[in-house]
Amino acid sequence: MSGPDGRGAALPPEAVSELRHDLRTPVNHIVGYAEMLLEDAGDGDQAGRAALEQTLVAARDVLTLINGTLSSGGVSVSQADIVALYTSLAEPQQRIVRALSPLLDADGNDEEFTADLRRILSAADKLVTRTPAASATVDGDADAVAEGAADGQARILVVDDVEDNRVLLERRLRRQGHAVESVDNGQVALEMAQTGSFDLILLDVLMPEMDGYEVLERLKQSPVTRHLPVIMISALDDLSSVVRCIERGAEDYLSKPFDPVLLRARITACLEKKRLRDREIEYLEQVRSVIDAASAVEAGSYAPGTLADTTGRNDELGRLARVFDRMASEVRAREDRLRNQVEDLRREIESAREGTASSAGQLDHANLPTSERFADRYEITAALGQGAMGAVYRARDLELEEEIAIKTLRPELVVDPMLIERFKTEIRLARRITHRNVVRTHDFGEWAGIYYLTMEYVEGMTVRQLIDGRGRLGVSATLAIASQLAQALEVAHGEGVIHRDIKPHNLLLDGDGVLKVMDFGIARLSEATMGITETGLSVGTPAYMSPEQLLAESDLDERSDLYAVGVVLYECLTGGLPFAAKSPMSLVAMMLSEEPTAPQEVNSEIPPALSGLILQLLAKQPERRLSSARELGERLAQLE
Amino acid sequence: MPKILLVEDNEMNRDMLSRRLERKGFEVAMAFDGRQGVEMAKSDGYDLILMDMSLPEIDGWEATRQLRAEPKTQAVPIIALTAHAMAGDRERALEAGCDDYDTKPIELPRLLAKMESLLGKTE
Repeated sequence: MSGPDGRGAALPPEAVSELRHDLRTPVNHIVGYAEMLLEDAGDGDQAGRAALEQTLVAARDVLTLINGTLSSGGVSVSQADIVALYTSLAEPQQRIVRALSPLLDADGNDEEFTADLRRILSAADKLVTRTPAASATVDGDADAVAEGAADGQARILVVDDVEDNRVLLERRLRRQGHAVESVDNGQVALEMAQTGSFDLILLDVLMPEMDGYEVLERLKQSPVTRHLPVIMISALDDLSSVVRCIERGAEDYLSKPFDPVLLRARITACLEKKRLRDREIEYLEQVRSVIDAASAVEAGSYAPGTLADTTGRNDELGRLARVFDRMASEVRAREDRLRNQVEDLRREIESAREGTASSAGQLDHANLPTSERFADRYEITAALGQGAMGAVYRARDLELEEEIAIKTLRPELVVDPMLIERFKTEIRLARRITHRNVVRTHDFGEWAGIYYLTMEYVEGMTVRQLIDGRGRLGVSATLAIASQLAQALEVAHGEGVIHRDIKPHNLLLDGDGVLKVMDFGIARLSEATMGITETGLSVGTPAYMSPEQLLAESDLDERSDLYAVGVVLYECLTGGLPFAAKSPMSLVAMMLSEEPTAPQEVNSEIPPALSGLILQLLAKQPERRLSSARELGERLAQLE
Repeated sequence: MPKILLVEDNEMNRDMLSRRLERKGFEVAMAFDGRQGVEMAKSDGYDLILMDMSLPEIDGWEATRQLRAEPKTQAVPIIALTAHAMAGDRERALEAGCDDYDTKPIELPRLLAKMESLLGKTE
């Protein structure tokens, strides 16, 4: 009947046995009920008896057909044989329907009679409805197509202690396109599931040793398998068993015997749910990775490319990750650049040091004796310099045991008590600025008629000394000064404090290349004390003053400081001032009427963008400069 | 009136066979699976058991083995019923401890004859 004639592979005996069982059962129903009804039928009911007898004849024909194909003698059966059998069963089935339908429509039937007739017809219907066993064995027909490969193959673990069940399920699932492994024991199933290589488990409820409930419970307890969907399979379809499984986290429940279409639909739904859940979990993990990356950027430990998994996504999260990665990389590149610039600056400082022997402590103008206690608290250790405002000393604060700087103010600056009050206000404001690029102001006081300020002591040199020592500075070192200066001013301006006297003498550099701006608020004093027409120009530092400051306009704003930054940077890069004049008056005239030579024309190594930026800072009208120190910082950061 | 225990998971089989046996004067109790069948057989006395072989929980083969191992039930005649009707089923049934064997579809007169013969033996 099969085999060598090429009609498909021989079916395994257990499949034949199952199919035989599935087909003989309805025959049993048909015969049993028909015989019963025949016993009940009165002799007068000729039509009824005839119909029932025709039904019994058809049922015996069915049995003959079944036995002919699905021999109990172990003759092999092919898939084509099954298709042929089903085709042949349709004829006797139709005979039964034709015989019984008129009885069903007759008047005066009692309920039991009608119910039994329906039972026979429903059993007859099963003869032509492909059973699960038949569908699992037959290729190339409608059922098999319905059962065909699911979208997206899955890896499924079948757990059932009965070998026949395993074989049947395995075969059916493979036909649906899945990769299947099966195991007969709950403990082994748990171990296999721990490998994380399955998408779905089909788990039998009734098993020896460890039953399906316990396996399910353990699967749901383990973090590795918690999200692995489990479909319970059981011949028990009582409600309590279903409830027990659902409560323990089973995804679905299927009763044996399975309908192949239902099995396929449930597995597909289950896998789809898992796919969605996996995607959600992956999404959340990647969101987490972006958050971690943000923390890493903050901690300075972000490595570009960390988000490679997420930047490949095609959605919003992917876009966020790409933007974030790019920004983080830029920040990092900027930081690296700044670090290199500061390093270059540090080298310039070293070189400048080697070139000029220290002259600290040798100043003639010092009028406070060293090694003497000042203001009952400070021990002067060295005279550091003499400026227009007064002298600067290094001292030891005996109270706090730390090095500080003391700046004394020339007596003629502090004659008016009103001015002193105003000065105090300025100092109070300046003290609010705390930033690594600003020299901290500690105190203002008067001792033995001398007004003085105490402030943070910075070991290092001024930018003035650096330029003098080096002639001019490299682009990189200048940018290191510029960005630190911009940061200091951004913070000061934020506090409402305008420096008014930014110049190389007021910019300190420590040995690490950290720039510290000093004398915030002090310039106000000299401005107020000395008119520009008097000796002011020689006392102040007009070369760094903005035109509006030179013209003594009252409402100076932060852009005046930006002008001074322009002059400082110009000098750093070129070694000279934008306007070089022999007298203060001619300087003013030049500043108001002439345009400075572009830094790039003086030194061709200066990048055009930087040169242009400096010229913009030197614009005569404040509104044509940059608007703020913050903007200056941003523009500097954009420079390569 | 002989008391029969019918162990059968298929509802239509249960309905049909129990009704037919009742008509013939038997008192029929029903169990839905092998486990329930064994429990009922142990707690109530039956004159004969009709055991379907493909049952959930405990199949007919195993249920029969358990009944044969139990002193209270080891003498109760058991007729195996199967729709498989595969070669060797009969031998398997007898080996498991069944007294007789019948296939579905049930031929009632044939089954009744087997039942009568076993019931006669025990009486």
